[in-house]
Amino acid sequence: MNCLAVARRVFVSSGRGMPLPAVMVCFCAVFFTRVVVAECAALDSQVGFESSYAEGWGIDRRNTRYQPRSTIDSGNAAGLSLKWVYGLTSRTPRSYPLVTEDTIFLGDDGRGIVALERETGCERWIYEHDGQISSSILQGWIGEQRILIFNDRNDGMFAIDAVDGEFVWHAKVEDEPAPWYSGSPLVLGDTVILPVSSKEVGYSVNPIYGCCTTSGGMAAFDINTGEKLWYIPTIEEIAKPTERHWFFVQEYGPSGAPVWAAPSYDAKRGLIFFGTGQNYSHPTTDTSDSIFAVDVETGEVRWVRQFTANDAYTAACNIEALNHPNCADPTGPDVDFGAATMLVRNKSGRELVLAGQKSADVYAMDPETGDVVWTQKLGRGGIIGGVHWGMAANESLGLVYVPISDKKIVGFPSPGEPTPGLYALDIETGARRWHYSRDSRCSDLECVFGFSAAIIASNDIVVAGSMDGILEVLAAESGKLLWSHDAWRDYPSVNDVVTSGGAFDAHGAMIADDLLLVSSGYSYVGQQRGGNAFLVFQVEVKNEQ
Amino acid sequence: MSSELPLAGRFRRLVATLVDAILVPSLSLVLVMITGVMEDAEDYANLDLMLLWIFLLAIAAYMILNGYTLWHQGQTLGKWLMGIAIVPASSHVQAGFVRVGNEGKSAYVPAPFWKLIFIRALFFPVLFLWVVPWLALLPVLDQALIFGKRRRCLHDLFAGTIVVRV
Repeated sequence: MNCLAVARRVFVSSGRGMPLPAVMVCFCAVFFTRVVVAECAALDSQVGFESSYAEGWGIDRRNTRYQPRSTIDSGNAAGLSLKWVYGLTSRTPRSYPLVTEDTIFLGDDGRGIVALERETGCERWIYEHDGQISSSILQGWIGEQRILIFNDRNDGMFAIDAVDGEFVWHAKVEDEPAPWYSGSPLVLGDTVILPVSSKEVGYSVNPIYGCCTTSGGMAAFDINTGEKLWYIPTIEEIAKPTERHWFFVQEYGPSGAPVWAAPSYDAKRGLIFFGTGQNYSHPTTDTSDSIFAVDVETGEVRWVRQFTANDAYTAACNIEALNHPNCADPTGPDVDFGAATMLVRNKSGRELVLAGQKSADVYAMDPETGDVVWTQKLGRGGIIGGVHWGMAANESLGLVYVPISDKKIVGFPSPGEPTPGLYALDIETGARRWHYSRDSRCSDLECVFGFSAAIIASNDIVVAGSMDGILEVLAAESGKLLWSHDAWRDYPSVNDVVTSGGAFDAHGAMIADDLLLVSSGYSYVGQQRGGNAFLVFQVEVKNEQ
Repeated sequence: MSSELPLAGRFRRLVATLVDAILVPSLSLVLVMITGVMEDAEDYANLDLMLLWIFLLAIAAYMILNGYTLWHQGQTLGKWLMGIAIVPASSHVQAGFVRVGNEGKSAYVPAPFWKLIFIRALFFPVLFLWVVPWLALLPVLDQALIFGKRRRCLHDLFAGTIVVRV
């Protein structure tokens, strides 16, 4: 809806005519938009790519989600202001941007990868792709050619040329019949690591489906060709027939243990770490709700540490009306490790693998052995967390920041009192340093406060977007609120698309230099508000001379 | 002797349609379960083939339930239960029906089988499009014509049929 239409609706519905100032403001707005569009038309499509602001989903390959290349801090965060807004096609954006010195690459479901001019948001080029782009955008090299890598959630991993957006290769996992590519890949030189989940968690809603045969897994591909190097399932045992329901429908097990998130990389040991989700059917395995350590070169599993045993669950368990035959009995709590693991160093230099679970537990492990160093319970947990998408760390402060959702989902029991918010824990001991929380904005389900989205840290700040549509910047040492933005509103967009904000969820915010970038809107699960706004904020940095 | 059978009542036709709309999908579901065409992840991996199988099984279910009665009597199972039948519209107009004397039974010429299967039956799946928001008008359009004087729905007009009590 354009400005004139909005104004007409407001004034006409209030029983008044449109006053002249409103007409003039609208005229200016429309004129300005047209000017921007006209300027965009003349934009150079050449992408500058001397450097990028992230090595992957986790900013660095250890997944600390700490952005060292930023000028935003506690002293200037209050001055963040909206720079431009890009209108997406999807109302549930699930792509995490890649930023270079002059370009932002972003996935938009149904359109493809868009290369936006960093200063204005104008489109340099679009790689058209009609699928759900579900990952961060990564960069890599094939010889002298710089490429971008991303996931189509249903169709696998794609590589395109970073300069002009031309297709390079497409890879998928053939080892499983129902792979789901939700977790972001990780580029390690000539190898691309790809997490694999399974669609059976959703297929099982169909009561004449015989749940379940597939396993999650992790795969490695040659970046030059897209050829598979190795694949490991998280359940090695082949699923066997178990029971039947409704006389004809054969059930199978074991199954599940999907991998939902980007792995973290340990360069010193040559390992990747990643978490798994629950089993889909019985019998359960000792690899569900677990943390894996895997050799990058060979795919050999070094160690597996399980934190919740006998957790069997599918989406069928959310359907209250039926005693659904595809809901595992007994039913588990569905406490995946949906969030990415991270490898951090404490102040004394000791390395730890940190993992946050949907149960709201956080664990620190020895990267060599998987032995648990400390644990901390921060909420009641639930099927969208507890910890849902990802934590962040500030190693110089010795703190890890843990977002807790604790949101109740209709149709699934959530026993216990919710304690949503952002928690700062001592990396060394797991002790709580501070906790930030606030009231929900209203009592409707979409209003419920809590942090499901991944968060990001930089300098002395932490940025977290909540499910009720408020983006907040907190002081890293104290948890004091420094700035916030309410995204439940319409925005004028640079690409002249009707644009509104909604919940903050999924991959969360990105920081690059003086910019704070985030997609707003998420209606996939959790009865949250959809939206299609890609927001870019900028802080005014004063040069001290 | 009467020259015409009475038109089927709208309520009878509605109930007959509802019976068919319940029985055919139910048998389809049973056939899908027996054959296991959408029972595991391999089936979903080849979605087009799976959908083709489901479509073919639905046709099979329709024919198992209705094939014999349509061939011999111009009736689906629902219409048989409700005592109505499909006849050629032209023969109805031309007084082509005969009421047979003392026993009060009707003799009628059912509509040609090929028309019932290849034209009229094609509208049967349209009934279920009411669940698709932007296609929901199609079944409404088809069925709304029953309020015409001769109670001929769109599928009757296409197939050249009319529904009578028998």
